[in-house]
Amino acid sequence: MVIKVLAFAGSPRRYGNSETLLDWVLASMSGESDVNIEKIALIEANIHMCNGCNACEKLNKCIQRDGMDTVHDKIIEADCIVLSSPIFCMGLAAQVKALVDRAQVFRSRKYVLKLPIVPPERKGKRLGIFLATAGQKWDYVFDGAIPSVKCFYHVIDIRDEDIHYLMVNGVDEKGAINNHLTARTDAEKLGREVIMELKKRLSF
Amino acid sequence: MTIKVLGISGSPHRYGNTETLLDKFLEGAKVAGSSVEKIVLKDLDYSPCRGCNACHKTGECIVQDDAIDLFDKILKSDCIAIASPIYSMGITAELKGFIDREQYLWARKFIVKTLYFKNDHIKKHKGIFISTAGLGWNNVFNGAFPIITALFNTLGFEFYDNIVANDMDRYGGIQQHPTALKEAFEKGQNVVRVLEKLNKT
Repeated sequence: MVIKVLAFAGSPRRYGNSETLLDWVLASMSGESDVNIEKIALIEANIHMCNGCNACEKLNKCIQRDGMDTVHDKIIEADCIVLSSPIFCMGLAAQVKALVDRAQVFRSRKYVLKLPIVPPERKGKRLGIFLATAGQKWDYVFDGAIPSVKCFYHVIDIRDEDIHYLMVNGVDEKGAINNHLTARTDAEKLGREVIMELKKRLSF
Repeated sequence: MTIKVLGISGSPHRYGNTETLLDKFLEGAKVAGSSVEKIVLKDLDYSPCRGCNACHKTGECIVQDDAIDLFDKILKSDCIAIASPIYSMGITAELKGFIDREQYLWARKFIVKTLYFKNDHIKKHKGIFISTAGLGWNNVFNGAFPIITALFNTLGFEFYDNIVANDMDRYGGIQQHPTALKEAFEKGQNVVRVLEKLNKT
Protein backbone atom coordinates (compact mmCIF):
# COMPACT_ATOMS: atom_id res chain seq x y z
CA MET A 1 0.00 0.00 0.00
CA VAL A 2 1.20 3.47 -0.82
CA ILE A 3 0.10 6.94 0.18
CA LYS A 4 -1.03 8.87 -2.87
CA VAL A 5 -0.24 12.56 -2.98
CA LEU A 6 -1.75 14.71 -5.70
CA ALA A 7 -0.26 18.17 -6.04
CA PHE A 8 -1.38 21.13 -8.13
CA ALA A 9 1.11 23.81 -9.10
CA GLY A 10 -1.37 26.59 -9.72
CA SER A 11 0.79 29.44 -10.93
CA PRO A 12 0.88 30.36 -14.62
CA ARG A 13 4.59 31.07 -14.02
CA ARG A 14 6.49 27.79 -13.84
CA TYR A 15 9.14 27.28 -11.13
CA GLY A 16 8.30 30.53 -9.34
CA ASN A 17 7.77 31.10 -5.63
CA SER A 18 4.56 29.15 -5.07
CA GLU A 19 5.85 26.17 -7.06
CA THR A 20 9.17 26.24 -5.21
CA LEU A 21 7.26 26.13 -1.92
CA LEU A 22 5.30 23.19 -3.30
CA ASP A 23 8.47 21.41 -4.42
CA TRP A 24 9.95 21.73 -0.92
CA VAL A 25 6.86 20.10 0.59
CA LEU A 26 6.89 17.32 -2.02
CA ALA A 27 10.63 16.69 -1.68
CA SER A 28 10.28 16.12 2.06
CA MET A 29 7.34 13.79 1.43
CA SER A 30 9.27 11.77 -1.14
CA GLY A 31 11.94 11.18 1.50
CA GLU A 32 9.42 9.03 3.39
CA SER A 33 8.73 5.41 2.46
CA ASP A 34 5.61 4.25 0.57
CA VAL A 35 4.71 7.62 -0.88
CA ASN A 36 3.62 8.14 -4.45
CA ILE A 37 3.57 11.75 -5.63
CA GLU A 38 2.06 13.23 -8.73
CA LYS A 39 2.45 16.92 -9.54
CA ILE A 40 0.23 18.64 -12.09
CA ALA A 41 0.98 22.13 -13.40
CA LEU A 42 -2.43 23.70 -13.96
CA ILE A 43 -1.14 25.88 -16.81
CA GLU A 44 -0.54 22.66 -18.76
CA ALA A 45 -3.57 20.71 -17.51
CA ASN A 46 -6.16 21.99 -20.02
CA ILE A 47 -8.87 22.63 -17.42
CA HIS A 48 -11.54 24.94 -18.79
CA MET A 49 -13.75 27.20 -16.72
CA CYS A 50 -17.11 26.07 -15.33
CA ASN A 51 -20.00 27.03 -17.65
CA GLY A 52 -22.43 27.36 -14.77
CA CYS A 53 -24.87 25.13 -16.67
CA ASN A 54 -25.71 23.00 -13.61
CA ALA A 55 -25.92 19.88 -15.80
CA CYS A 56 -23.78 18.07 -13.19
CA GLU A 57 -26.73 18.31 -10.80
CA LYS A 58 -28.51 15.81 -13.03
CA LEU A 59 -25.73 13.93 -14.82
CA ASN A 60 -23.33 13.49 -11.88
CA LYS A 61 -20.58 14.49 -14.30
CA CYS A 62 -19.45 17.54 -16.19
CA ILE A 63 -20.51 17.97 -19.80
CA GLN A 64 -17.08 19.39 -20.69
CA ARG A 65 -14.47 16.87 -21.91
CA ASP A 66 -11.01 18.17 -21.05
CA GLY A 67 -8.14 17.69 -18.62
CA MET A 68 -10.60 17.62 -15.73
CA ASP A 69 -11.69 14.12 -16.79
CA THR A 70 -8.50 12.56 -15.43
CA VAL A 71 -7.98 15.13 -12.68
CA HIS A 72 -11.46 14.31 -11.35
CA ASP A 73 -10.50 10.64 -10.88
CA LYS A 74 -7.13 11.51 -9.39
CA ILE A 75 -8.80 13.79 -6.83
CA ILE A 76 -10.93 10.88 -5.64
CA GLU A 77 -8.00 8.45 -5.49
CA ALA A 78 -5.56 10.71 -3.61
CA ASP A 79 -4.95 10.52 0.14
CA CYS A 80 -3.50 14.01 0.20
CA ILE A 81 -4.28 16.89 -2.12
CA VAL A 82 -1.88 19.79 -2.21
CA LEU A 83 -2.97 23.02 -3.85
CA SER A 84 -0.53 25.85 -4.45
CA SER A 85 -1.34 29.30 -5.77
CA PRO A 86 0.25 32.69 -5.97
CA ILE A 87 -1.98 35.54 -4.81
CA PHE A 88 -2.99 37.70 -7.77
CA CYS A 89 -5.10 40.78 -7.05
CA MET A 90 -5.92 39.59 -3.53
CA GLY A 91 -7.22 36.21 -4.64
CA LEU A 92 -6.34 32.84 -6.12
CA ALA A 93 -4.76 32.92 -9.59
CA ALA A 94 -7.51 32.58 -12.21
CA GLN A 95 -6.10 29.19 -13.25
CA VAL A 96 -6.59 27.89 -9.70
CA LYS A 97 -10.07 29.41 -9.47
CA ALA A 98 -10.94 27.54 -12.67
CA LEU A 99 -10.03 24.22 -11.00
CA VAL A 100 -11.94 25.16 -7.84
CA ASP A 101 -15.04 26.12 -9.85
CA ARG A 102 -14.91 22.84 -11.77
CA ALA A 103 -15.13 21.01 -8.43
CA GLN A 104 -18.82 21.93 -8.72
CA VAL A 105 -19.38 18.36 -9.95
CA PHE A 106 -18.38 17.11 -6.46
CA ARG A 107 -20.70 19.62 -4.81
CA SER A 108 -23.59 18.40 -6.98
CA ARG A 109 -22.74 14.79 -6.18
CA LYS A 110 -22.57 15.50 -2.45
CA TYR A 111 -25.48 17.88 -1.93
CA VAL A 112 -27.89 17.43 -4.81
CA LEU A 113 -27.53 13.75 -5.71
CA LYS A 114 -26.50 12.83 -2.15
CA LEU A 115 -23.86 10.36 -3.28
CA PRO A 116 -20.51 9.68 -1.60
CA ILE A 117 -17.30 11.33 -2.87
CA VAL A 118 -14.91 8.69 -1.51
CA PRO A 119 -15.63 5.12 -0.38
CA PRO A 120 -16.73 4.92 3.29
CA GLU A 121 -13.46 3.34 4.45
CA ARG A 122 -11.51 6.42 3.25
CA LYS A 123 -13.91 9.05 4.51
CA GLY A 124 -12.39 11.43 7.04
CA LYS A 125 -8.88 10.10 6.39
CA ARG A 126 -7.79 12.44 3.62
CA LEU A 127 -5.68 15.52 4.21
CA GLY A 128 -5.33 18.79 2.33
CA ILE A 129 -2.49 21.27 2.11
CA PHE A 130 -2.88 24.80 0.80
CA LEU A 131 0.29 26.63 -0.12
CA ALA A 132 0.35 30.25 -1.20
CA THR A 133 2.80 33.03 -1.82
CA ALA A 134 2.04 36.73 -2.10
CA GLY A 135 4.10 39.72 -3.13
CA GLN A 136 2.44 42.07 -0.67
CA LYS A 137 3.41 41.97 3.00
CA TRP A 138 -0.09 42.60 4.37
CA ASP A 139 -1.18 39.90 6.77
CA TYR A 140 -4.70 39.96 5.26
CA VAL A 141 -3.42 39.29 1.73
CA PHE A 142 -4.68 35.67 1.81
CA ASP A 143 -8.20 36.51 3.06
CA GLY A 144 -9.78 36.58 -0.41
CA ALA A 145 -8.33 33.17 -1.33
CA ILE A 146 -9.14 31.13 1.78
CA PRO A 147 -12.96 30.89 1.45
CA SER A 148 -12.64 29.32 -2.02
CA VAL A 149 -9.88 26.98 -0.81
CA LYS A 150 -12.06 25.79 2.07
CA CYS A 151 -14.93 25.32 -0.36
CA PHE A 152 -12.75 23.23 -2.71
CA TYR A 153 -11.62 20.89 0.07
CA HIS A 154 -15.09 20.71 1.55
CA VAL A 155 -16.73 19.46 -1.64
CA ILE A 156 -14.01 16.86 -2.23
CA ASP A 157 -14.57 15.51 1.30
CA ILE A 158 -11.55 16.88 3.10
CA ARG A 159 -12.67 18.30 6.41
CA ASP A 160 -11.91 21.87 7.44
CA GLU A 161 -9.75 20.67 10.35
CA ASP A 162 -7.81 18.44 7.96
CA ILE A 163 -6.53 21.33 5.82
CA HIS A 164 -2.98 22.45 6.56
CA TYR A 165 -1.89 25.90 5.47
CA LEU A 166 1.48 27.39 4.65
CA MET A 167 1.14 30.89 3.27
CA VAL A 168 4.15 33.12 2.77
CA ASN A 169 3.78 36.84 2.13
CA GLY A 170 6.33 39.42 1.05
CA VAL A 171 7.84 37.29 -1.75
CA ASP A 172 7.38 38.93 -5.14
CA GLU A 173 10.08 38.47 -7.77
CA LYS A 174 10.94 35.00 -9.03
CA GLY A 175 13.22 33.24 -6.56
CA ALA A 176 12.44 35.62 -3.67
CA ILE A 177 11.26 32.69 -1.56
CA ASN A 178 14.79 31.29 -1.48
CA ASN A 179 15.77 34.22 0.72
CA HIS A 180 12.85 33.78 3.10
CA LEU A 181 14.05 32.87 6.57
CA THR A 182 11.63 30.09 7.46
CA ALA A 183 9.65 29.06 4.35
CA ARG A 184 11.84 26.11 3.36
CA THR A 185 12.09 24.65 6.87
CA ASP A 186 8.36 25.11 7.42
CA ALA A 187 7.56 23.45 4.09
CA GLU A 188 9.79 20.45 4.78
CA LYS A 189 8.41 20.05 8.27
CA LEU A 190 4.85 20.24 6.96
CA GLY A 191 5.49 17.59 4.30
CA ARG A 192 6.91 15.14 6.86
CA GLU A 193 4.14 15.79 9.39
CA VAL A 194 1.38 15.26 6.88
CA ILE A 195 2.84 11.94 5.72
CA MET A 196 3.23 10.81 9.35
CA GLU A 197 -0.39 11.71 10.06
CA LEU A 198 -1.58 9.88 6.95
CA LYS A 199 0.35 6.75 7.89
CA LYS A 200 -1.32 6.84 11.28
CA ARG A 201 -4.78 7.29 9.75
CA LEU A 202 -4.29 4.63 7.12
CA SER A 203 -2.66 2.36 9.80
CA PHE A 204 0.61 1.62 8.01
CA MET B 1 -21.75 66.17 -19.32
CA THR B 2 -23.28 62.74 -19.72
CA ILE B 3 -22.17 60.25 -17.10
CA LYS B 4 -20.81 57.06 -18.62
CA VAL B 5 -21.77 53.86 -16.83
CA LEU B 6 -20.18 50.55 -17.78
CA GLY B 7 -21.54 47.23 -16.56
CA ILE B 8 -19.40 44.12 -16.78
CA SER B 9 -21.04 40.74 -16.43
CA GLY B 10 -18.68 38.01 -15.24
CA SER B 11 -21.11 35.11 -15.34
CA PRO B 12 -20.66 32.28 -17.83
CA HIS B 13 -24.40 31.81 -17.62
CA ARG B 14 -26.36 34.32 -19.76
CA TYR B 15 -29.45 36.14 -18.39
CA GLY B 16 -29.17 34.54 -14.94
CA ASN B 17 -29.69 36.12 -11.53
CA THR B 18 -26.55 38.23 -11.51
CA GLU B 19 -26.92 39.59 -15.02
CA THR B 20 -30.58 40.42 -14.33
CA LEU B 21 -29.51 42.38 -11.26
CA LEU B 22 -26.87 44.19 -13.34
CA ASP B 23 -29.49 44.97 -16.00
CA LYS B 24 -31.75 46.55 -13.37
CA PHE B 25 -28.88 48.67 -12.12
CA LEU B 26 -28.09 49.82 -15.67
CA GLU B 27 -31.77 50.53 -16.28
CA GLY B 28 -31.85 52.81 -13.26
CA ALA B 29 -28.67 54.54 -14.41
CA LYS B 30 -30.14 55.07 -17.88
CA VAL B 31 -33.39 56.50 -16.54
CA ALA B 32 -31.29 58.96 -14.54
CA GLY B 33 -29.79 60.22 -17.79
CA SER B 34 -26.47 58.43 -18.14
CA SER B 35 -25.19 56.56 -21.15
CA VAL B 36 -24.89 52.89 -20.31
CA GLU B 37 -23.08 49.97 -21.87
CA LYS B 38 -22.93 46.33 -20.86
CA ILE B 39 -20.04 44.01 -21.63
CA VAL B 40 -20.39 40.26 -21.18
CA LEU B 41 -16.98 38.73 -20.44
CA LYS B 42 -18.05 35.39 -21.89
CA ASP B 43 -18.32 37.04 -25.33
CA LEU B 44 -14.79 38.44 -25.21
CA ASP B 45 -11.58 36.77 -26.24
CA TYR B 46 -8.93 37.08 -23.55
CA SER B 47 -6.60 34.78 -21.67
CA PRO B 48 -5.71 34.91 -17.98
CA CYS B 49 -2.52 36.61 -16.74
CA ARG B 50 0.63 34.55 -17.36
CA GLY B 51 2.47 36.07 -14.41
CA CYS B 52 5.44 36.85 -16.68
CA ASN B 53 5.97 40.27 -15.05
CA ALA B 54 7.05 41.80 -18.38
CA CYS B 55 4.74 44.70 -17.51
CA HIS B 56 6.87 45.44 -14.46
CA LYS B 57 9.53 46.72 -16.87
CA THR B 58 7.41 48.37 -19.54
CA GLY B 59 3.98 49.03 -18.09
CA GLU B 60 2.56 47.19 -21.11
CA CYS B 61 1.01 43.74 -21.28
CA ILE B 62 2.61 41.46 -23.85
CA VAL B 63 -0.76 39.82 -24.46
CA GLN B 64 -2.82 42.14 -26.65
CA ASP B 65 -6.40 40.90 -26.63
CA ASP B 66 -9.89 42.03 -25.67
CA ALA B 67 -8.89 42.47 -22.01
CA ILE B 68 -6.75 45.50 -22.92
CA ASP B 69 -9.61 47.13 -24.88
CA LEU B 70 -11.92 46.59 -21.93
CA PHE B 71 -9.47 48.18 -19.48
CA ASP B 72 -9.28 51.18 -21.88
CA LYS B 73 -13.05 51.38 -21.82
CA ILE B 74 -13.15 51.15 -18.02
CA LEU B 75 -10.67 54.01 -17.69
CA LYS B 76 -12.95 56.18 -19.85
CA SER B 77 -16.02 55.43 -17.71
CA ASP B 78 -17.32 57.40 -14.75
CA CYS B 79 -18.95 54.43 -13.08
CA ILE B 80 -18.30 50.71 -13.35
CA ALA B 81 -20.53 47.94 -12.10
CA ILE B 82 -18.70 44.63 -11.80
CA ALA B 83 -21.06 41.68 -11.64
CA SER B 84 -20.30 38.08 -10.77
CA PRO B 85 -22.22 35.24 -9.22
CA ILE B 86 -20.50 33.51 -6.31
CA TYR B 87 -18.92 30.24 -7.40
CA SER B 88 -17.17 28.22 -4.69
CA MET B 89 -17.19 31.16 -2.26
CA GLY B 90 -15.53 33.56 -4.72
CA ILE B 91 -16.00 35.41 -8.00
CA THR B 92 -16.06 33.32 -11.18
CA ALA B 93 -12.84 32.18 -12.83
CA GLU B 94 -13.99 34.21 -15.84
CA LEU B 95 -13.98 37.46 -13.89
CA LYS B 96 -10.83 36.53 -11.97
CA GLY B 97 -9.14 35.84 -15.31
CA PHE B 98 -9.97 39.37 -16.43
CA ILE B 99 -9.08 41.05 -13.12
CA ASP B 100 -5.66 39.38 -12.96
CA ARG B 101 -4.85 41.07 -16.28
CA GLU B 102 -4.92 44.48 -14.53
CA GLN B 103 -1.34 43.83 -13.45
CA TYR B 104 0.07 46.14 -16.17
CA LEU B 105 -1.94 49.02 -14.76
CA TRP B 106 -0.74 48.20 -11.25
CA ALA B 107 2.81 48.19 -12.64
CA ARG B 108 2.24 51.59 -14.27
CA LYS B 109 1.15 52.98 -10.90
CA PHE B 110 3.69 51.43 -8.57
CA ILE B 111 6.73 50.36 -10.58
CA VAL B 112 6.98 52.28 -13.87
CA LYS B 113 5.15 55.26 -12.31
CA THR B 114 3.44 56.50 -15.44
CA LEU B 115 -0.08 56.31 -14.03
CA TYR B 116 -1.40 58.33 -11.13
CA PHE B 117 -4.95 59.13 -10.08
CA LYS B 118 -5.53 62.33 -8.12
CA ASN B 119 -7.94 62.18 -5.18
CA ASP B 120 -10.38 64.38 -7.09
CA HIS B 121 -10.39 61.87 -9.98
CA ILE B 122 -10.96 58.94 -7.63
CA LYS B 123 -13.88 60.72 -5.96
CA LYS B 124 -15.56 61.25 -9.35
CA HIS B 125 -15.22 57.62 -10.38
CA LYS B 126 -17.44 55.11 -8.64
CA GLY B 127 -17.28 51.34 -8.52
CA ILE B 128 -20.15 49.04 -7.64
CA PHE B 129 -20.05 45.31 -6.99
CA ILE B 130 -23.09 43.26 -7.99
CA SER B 131 -23.43 39.65 -6.96
CA THR B 132 -25.77 36.82 -6.17
CA ALA B 133 -25.15 33.58 -4.31
CA GLY B 134 -27.13 30.40 -3.92
CA LEU B 135 -26.17 29.94 -0.29
CA GLY B 136 -27.81 31.96 2.44
CA TRP B 137 -24.69 32.42 4.58
CA ASN B 138 -23.87 35.97 5.65
CA ASN B 139 -20.19 35.47 4.79
CA VAL B 140 -20.74 34.18 1.27
CA PHE B 141 -19.45 37.37 -0.39
CA ASN B 142 -16.39 37.77 1.87
CA GLY B 143 -14.01 36.05 -0.54
CA ALA B 144 -15.05 38.38 -3.36
CA PHE B 145 -14.77 41.73 -1.57
CA PRO B 146 -10.95 41.94 -1.27
CA ILE B 147 -10.53 41.20 -4.99
CA ILE B 148 -13.10 43.76 -6.10
CA THR B 149 -11.63 46.37 -3.75
CA ALA B 150 -8.18 45.71 -5.20
CA LEU B 151 -9.57 46.12 -8.73
CA PHE B 152 -11.24 49.45 -7.94
CA ASN B 153 -8.10 50.73 -6.20
CA THR B 154 -5.88 49.89 -9.16
CA LEU B 155 -8.25 51.48 -11.67
CA GLY B 156 -8.75 54.73 -9.73
CA PHE B 157 -12.38 54.11 -8.81
CA GLU B 158 -13.84 54.78 -5.38
CA PHE B 159 -15.91 51.95 -3.96
CA TYR B 160 -19.51 53.22 -3.98
CA ASP B 161 -21.71 50.32 -2.92
CA ASN B 162 -22.52 46.63 -3.14
CA ILE B 163 -25.72 45.23 -4.59
CA VAL B 164 -25.66 41.68 -3.33
CA ALA B 165 -28.35 39.07 -2.81
CA ASN B 166 -27.71 35.70 -1.20
CA ASP B 167 -29.98 32.71 -0.60
CA MET B 168 -30.98 32.47 -4.29
CA ASP B 169 -31.47 28.70 -3.98
CA ARG B 170 -34.18 29.28 -1.38
CA TYR B 171 -35.84 32.19 -3.23
CA GLY B 172 -35.76 30.27 -6.49
CA GLY B 173 -34.21 33.13 -8.42
CA ILE B 174 -33.78 36.89 -8.32
CA GLN B 175 -37.34 37.65 -9.44
CA GLN B 176 -38.61 36.18 -6.17
CA HIS B 177 -36.21 38.23 -4.04
CA PRO B 178 -38.20 40.83 -2.08
CA THR B 179 -35.87 43.83 -2.47
CA ALA B 180 -32.82 43.20 -4.69
CA LEU B 181 -34.13 44.34 -8.08
CA LYS B 182 -35.67 47.51 -6.67
CA GLU B 183 -32.46 48.21 -4.78
CA ALA B 184 -30.41 47.75 -7.97
CA PHE B 185 -32.62 50.14 -9.95
CA GLU B 186 -32.49 52.80 -7.23
CA LYS B 187 -28.75 52.52 -6.76
CA GLY B 188 -28.34 52.91 -10.52
CA GLN B 189 -30.31 56.15 -10.42
CA ASN B 190 -28.60 57.41 -7.30
CA VAL B 191 -25.02 56.88 -8.39
CA VAL B 192 -25.64 58.88 -11.56
CA ARG B 193 -27.16 61.73 -9.55
CA VAL B 194 -24.20 61.68 -7.18
CA LEU B 195 -21.72 61.73 -10.06
CA GLU B 196 -23.57 64.56 -11.82
CA LYS B 197 -23.41 66.64 -8.65
CA LEU B 198 -19.71 65.88 -8.17
CA ASN B 199 -18.92 66.86 -11.75
CA LYS B 200 -20.69 70.21 -11.35
CA THR B 201 -18.49 71.26 -8.46
